[in-house]
Amino acid sequence: MSENLKLQPIQNWLKKNNWFFYDHQLDTLNQSINGHDILLIAPTGGGKTLAGFLPSLHDLINNKFPDNKLHTLYISPLKALTIDVHRNLTNPIEDQKLDIKVETRTGDTSSYKKTRQKEVPPHMLMTTPESLALLLADTQAKEYFKFLRYLIIDEIHSLVNSKRGDLLSLNLSRLNNISPNCKRIGLSATIKNKKSTLNFLSQKKKSKIINIREKSSPKIEILETENRVPWSGHMAGYAIPDIYKKIKLSSMTILFVNTRAQAELVFNKLWQENENNLKIAIHHGSLQKEIRRKVENLMSLGKLDCVVATSSLDLGIDWGKVDLVVQIGSPKGIARFLQRIGRSNHRFDEPSEALLVPSNRFEYLECISTIASIKANLLDEVKDKEGSLDVLAQHILGVACSNPFQIDDFFLEIKKAWPFRNLKKQTFLDVLEFVRNGGYSLKHYEQYAKIGINKNNFYAIKNKNIRNRYRLNVGTIVESYMLKVKLGNRTLGQVEEWFIEGLNEGDTFLFSGRVLEYQSITNNNIIVRSTNSTHPKIPSYAGGRLPLTSELSFQVRKLISKKEYWKHFPNQISDWLKLQNKFSGLPSVEGLLVETFPRHIKNKKRYFLICYTFEGRNANQTLGFLISKKMQRMGYKPISFVATDYALAIWSMIEVEDINIILNEDIMLDDLYEWLEETPLLKKNFRDAAIISGLIERTIPGRKKTGKQVMFSSDLIFDVLKKHEPNHILLQVARNDSYRGLIDLDRLGDFLKRIKNNIIHKRLDRISPLAVPLVLEINRQTIDKSEVDEYFLEELESEILTEVGLN
Amino acid sequence: MKTLNFCNHGLQICKEGVLFWLEREIAIVSDLHLEKGSSYASSGQYIPPYDSEETLLKLLDILNKYKVRKVILLGDTFHDKDAFLRMTPKVRFLFKDFTKKYEVIFILGNHENKIKIEGIKFHQEYIVDNIHFLHEAIKKDINQISGHFHPVASIKVSSKKITSKCLIHSNNHIILPSFGEFTGGLNINDPALKPFISEDYNIYFLTKKSIYKFSNKEIESQY
Repeated sequence: MSENLKLQPIQNWLKKNNWFFYDHQLDTLNQSINGHDILLIAPTGGGKTLAGFLPSLHDLINNKFPDNKLHTLYISPLKALTIDVHRNLTNPIEDQKLDIKVETRTGDTSSYKKTRQKEVPPHMLMTTPESLALLLADTQAKEYFKFLRYLIIDEIHSLVNSKRGDLLSLNLSRLNNISPNCKRIGLSATIKNKKSTLNFLSQKKKSKIINIREKSSPKIEILETENRVPWSGHMAGYAIPDIYKKIKLSSMTILFVNTRAQAELVFNKLWQENENNLKIAIHHGSLQKEIRRKVENLMSLGKLDCVVATSSLDLGIDWGKVDLVVQIGSPKGIARFLQRIGRSNHRFDEPSEALLVPSNRFEYLECISTIASIKANLLDEVKDKEGSLDVLAQHILGVACSNPFQIDDFFLEIKKAWPFRNLKKQTFLDVLEFVRNGGYSLKHYEQYAKIGINKNNFYAIKNKNIRNRYRLNVGTIVESYMLKVKLGNRTLGQVEEWFIEGLNEGDTFLFSGRVLEYQSITNNNIIVRSTNSTHPKIPSYAGGRLPLTSELSFQVRKLISKKEYWKHFPNQISDWLKLQNKFSGLPSVEGLLVETFPRHIKNKKRYFLICYTFEGRNANQTLGFLISKKMQRMGYKPISFVATDYALAIWSMIEVEDINIILNEDIMLDDLYEWLEETPLLKKNFRDAAIISGLIERTIPGRKKTGKQVMFSSDLIFDVLKKHEPNHILLQVARNDSYRGLIDLDRLGDFLKRIKNNIIHKRLDRISPLAVPLVLEINRQTIDKSEVDEYFLEELESEILTEVGLN
Repeated sequence: MKTLNFCNHGLQICKEGVLFWLEREIAIVSDLHLEKGSSYASSGQYIPPYDSEETLLKLLDILNKYKVRKVILLGDTFHDKDAFLRMTPKVRFLFKDFTKKYEVIFILGNHENKIKIEGIKFHQEYIVDNIHFLHEAIKKDINQISGHFHPVASIKVSSKKITSKCLIHSNNHIILPSFGEFTGGLNINDPALKPFISEDYNIYFLTKKSIYKFSNKEIESQY
């Protein structure tokens, strides 16, 4: 290391542990000393975190800094990560008896500690984007951050291009005004859009990307099994005995799943298999934080054999002793999988090892494609997103809570936040009016405005009550309303309100790795007791399922359509495809395979229509909406559809005869936009926007709205607003979010052109092998709810009439 | 419209939730909750101020279709005592138009405590032909038509639940659904409703397109 760097204590500590500095760590330090903001892109296990803190440690060790002032701010997307990094950083600091105070501050921090931290800040504070927003909304924020010298953002790739990232970027811009000399370091996993991530991080001209490549490519295998890989489902029950054997052979395993429901089920199955009494734990976002912390602690001490985890564990946390990573279900994206693999052999110079366990046959094909893509160094494409206006609304109120502002200065500050660089002045003024008084063209609420204007044209909140309410509503993650699960006096965690609605007294369900019997709801707590029932229901949690990237979708399509590839597949997969070929046909590369067949659902005959598009879930979903609209108009009474990455399945009460009419290009023109206005997704996005922007409050002091109330009123507001103010700012937000999340219009248009006169329609008398996974999909989309409700009610009524002999 | 036989009178319910006694040229409607939207504004939640306009236009539109002379409002016409003061000029105009065109009977609702509006008299109850019109049902064996509870029902069909406003008809009791644009609902199985409903009752389930009649047995057998 170069002579002018004085890092003796850190070096001593490294030496003690037989470790040494990596080049990129010193490079980061040197460039930072030279005044650069730095984006460090390195594979996991590359000593990234230490690299991020090195400039700050170097400064604190060598230069004078006033006591009781904040020197370094560390921001991570996960609470658990702040705790882990805190632990890792405390080791050298305590070992070398350095006079550096390090603390965490998240939603879980006690209010006593929070108050103390405001009065006497530590040198280094580890926090989340939401807690940062709250700190900046304080009237003392300028004083608090004035001395800040270093800002570290960990896992920055997971924050850019999201509403959380929008909020963070606005606050970064604010910090840039408060402490302009603060140096920034962003830490990121391997990403494709490096330049825009750097722009997100730094508002300085002097900024740099340090990019470290993986030294050895990871070793990935697909689980070999004697058992049958099921046609559908996401639970991989067939693989549990084989996985258990692998767990026994390794010293510590992390078993990643994609949803919390999977985590519960896999965990339960593993324990049924656990004849050796291995120490197997579970970790997901719905569990009580004490339970999660306990598991994290045991892991870092190496006292567990296996942890079943969701994405709650897949960011950055350093679990040194993990030597096997198992992924159940397709990882749905290359970058995400690389990140998860990085949890094993957390050493930079050794290859990571991972085992892929497809939970069904389509996923088997996906897993093969994933491995091929990693070998070819393909990365997922991410489209840059414009800053969301609902987040801007929340930020405007936050700033008004902290300090009076003038419009022009504030607008310039916002424009410096990368996602808002294209923001128009008029749009900003519209959002400001919305925050002040609702922004309705009818200036009805001016007298109740939250933000007043003084005679010098400064904007400020009217009373401190507004600040208190802002504090309770900060954040961009809108979750379903959750109820606490109580076993005796213990809180096990939370489940969504709608899950419990489907339960009757005495029903059992899996949670926190136990089988619980539902007893009652008291004071918004779900009272349960332990039971030995063997057929529990599984709470299926909203979210958690990620769309497959288009890169992978295409790969899968190629694999299926070319028989010469099949010889590399295990017999059961190639047999499946052969059976499909014999029974119906194979999806072709250029054309479209469509199947129709009748099938009974709950004793009622329904007609299924399956399109194997392989165009990705978003395009398939849009196609599903458009086709069902057309079918509705033509009187086929469509009930529901499923869109996966590979195909679309629609079922209706009446059989569709001419497929070509249904799949004509004109469905794109007919009433796309008019119809999109009615999608449930738009309503959902409107609800989120209404909450994020503060139109509807999450929490009012002393009273918590139940999820249902929020849902109800936001739907009513949506309808009224659409009629009276169709261009209201919140409707704009909801539309933008929906278009981004739902449509892949260009791709869909090309697709419809391509398949014109090239549709192979197979009329079958029953379901085909390839269609089984789709029909059994759980994630069903409801078509225009009120319309479908009417069909059901008509059907029910006529049944009742028949029963009493009137029909 | 669906007809129900109530104390030997034929009453008709429309899918929007207005009950008609056409023989007497009377329309009965409950819980308009005018200016509910604007009632949140003083606490900083700027709910769109268009609900009263929607509610009144919808009501006037329905009344126009039938021969109606008298309208009985079963209380909670105004969301709070200051609601009238918050109305926009347009809404006030619509409201005046409505009270000019019909003989309007205002029953006093629990939201209207201490309300004072010039030219409007609030009644505790109103009686026509031995039928008592009230805001909140009472535990007395009298023929009564009330509102207050905003009843909704959930019907389970094909393993999914459909929830919508409904009218409850239980012997000599009728409980009307709320009519206001921004009004929520209370499930018919809620204990609060139990004292006012007998063992056997019918509901008229109101959807966007139609009215469905179910007996409580039919609803319960769904579960």
